[in-house]
Amino acid sequence: MKDFIKVALGIIIAFFLYTILNKISPSLIQLFNVLSLVVIYFAIEKNEIFGACLGGFCGLIQDSLSLGVFGVAGLAKTVTGFTAGYISKKVDVLPLLRSFILIFMLIGLEFILWAILYSFIFSGTINTGRGLIFFQPLSTAFVGSFIFFLLRKIKRNKS
Amino acid sequence: MPFFLKEKKSLSVLTALIFFQLILISIQVPLGYEESYFKKTVFSIFSPVQHGILSFFRSIGIIWKNYFYLQNVQSQNQKMKEEIFFLRQENNLIRNALKNLKGEKEIEESLLKIHKNILAAQVIGFDASNFYKSVIINKGSLDGIKKNMVVLDKNANLVGRIIDPVTLKESRVQLITDNESGVGVFSVKKKVMGILSGDGKGYCFLKYIHVTTDDISEGEEVISSGKDGLFPSGIKVGKIVTITNSTSLFKQVKVEPYFDIRHLDQVAVIRRDPKEIF
Repeated sequence: MKDFIKVALGIIIAFFLYTILNKISPSLIQLFNVLSLVVIYFAIEKNEIFGACLGGFCGLIQDSLSLGVFGVAGLAKTVTGFTAGYISKKVDVLPLLRSFILIFMLIGLEFILWAILYSFIFSGTINTGRGLIFFQPLSTAFVGSFIFFLLRKIKRNKS
Repeated sequence: MPFFLKEKKSLSVLTALIFFQLILISIQVPLGYEESYFKKTVFSIFSPVQHGILSFFRSIGIIWKNYFYLQNVQSQNQKMKEEIFFLRQENNLIRNALKNLKGEKEIEESLLKIHKNILAAQVIGFDASNFYKSVIINKGSLDGIKKNMVVLDKNANLVGRIIDPVTLKESRVQLITDNESGVGVFSVKKKVMGILSGDGKGYCFLKYIHVTTDDISEGEEVISSGKDGLFPSGIKVGKIVTITNSTSLFKQVKVEPYFDIRHLDQVAVIRRDPKEIF
């Protein structure tokens, strides 16, 4: 029950941030992938199955708020969540630099998957927002690794 | 549990989830822009949340304006008075011009009808995959919103039309910059007709202009023709920025829409065709 509340809270915070960023400037959504950060965080905390399920759910939320094919972001985020959980089981990803690299790689993977599916279904190129979207893995990894670091510090202090 | 069995379980879950998402994709693809019930359900759950978050911030903003921002009120009031003065002048000029066409009582009725049929709405979200495709507004079926209603920006430029899903208090607007949109338009000077479609990157293309057509020029304004049966005629759409002759039968006419996505905060939904009103 406690875990469920934690996840629900994580999704609500991510959705809250997503809405605010979207309202400030739609370009910010291209720069920061907040929903995926929640997926990666809980996939590392729990396991790959949890990450895949949460990824699928968050992806479907994103798909429902866009005019396009339902399931594209869902599929990309499912793979991201699973990979995050799987890698974190094999490698210690808690240090700041390692979590930065992990987030960078996973957001990059998700972006590539999403872009391939999107281009394949819509038979056209994606809107890169004058190249802004290519900075998404870097900017999300930068912010994400810092947030993860802070969350772990708070957790350690509590315990 | 042995390690290999655990791995097998994880892979089975992943395969099942991927399969589920692929089913969702294959259900959606033949539907095109008509949305599946599952997508509509998820939308009707999460769009009110989005609406609620922004309403909360808007109310904080209103409190800020009401209590702490009063020092600018006087200058703003003065500016608004000046603006009202010019708007009144403009209104009178239009009324006078219309008098030549219709009786005064008829004009009064028409203007009243226009006012009743314009619904102001706030943009509460942009498309998550491509913000040039659609926006979500804070008005829905309870406010009288229906599919295919025309949406304009605050300067009365064409923004798009209402599409599915329309929930009780939220609805989606397909922008004219979406590559699946289509608007019947013509150029103002020589009335060259074409179909305007978005490129999904902030611009539009005027399609089916034959290479031999020399009657259009860069910088020319494009307005809706009303021939598509969806958008009423005479709405300002954008201006032609480039014209290139390609090897195909048709020219490549690039149009920059007048509405600005970065300043798309408030929009007007036209509940009835202006032709029906006048």
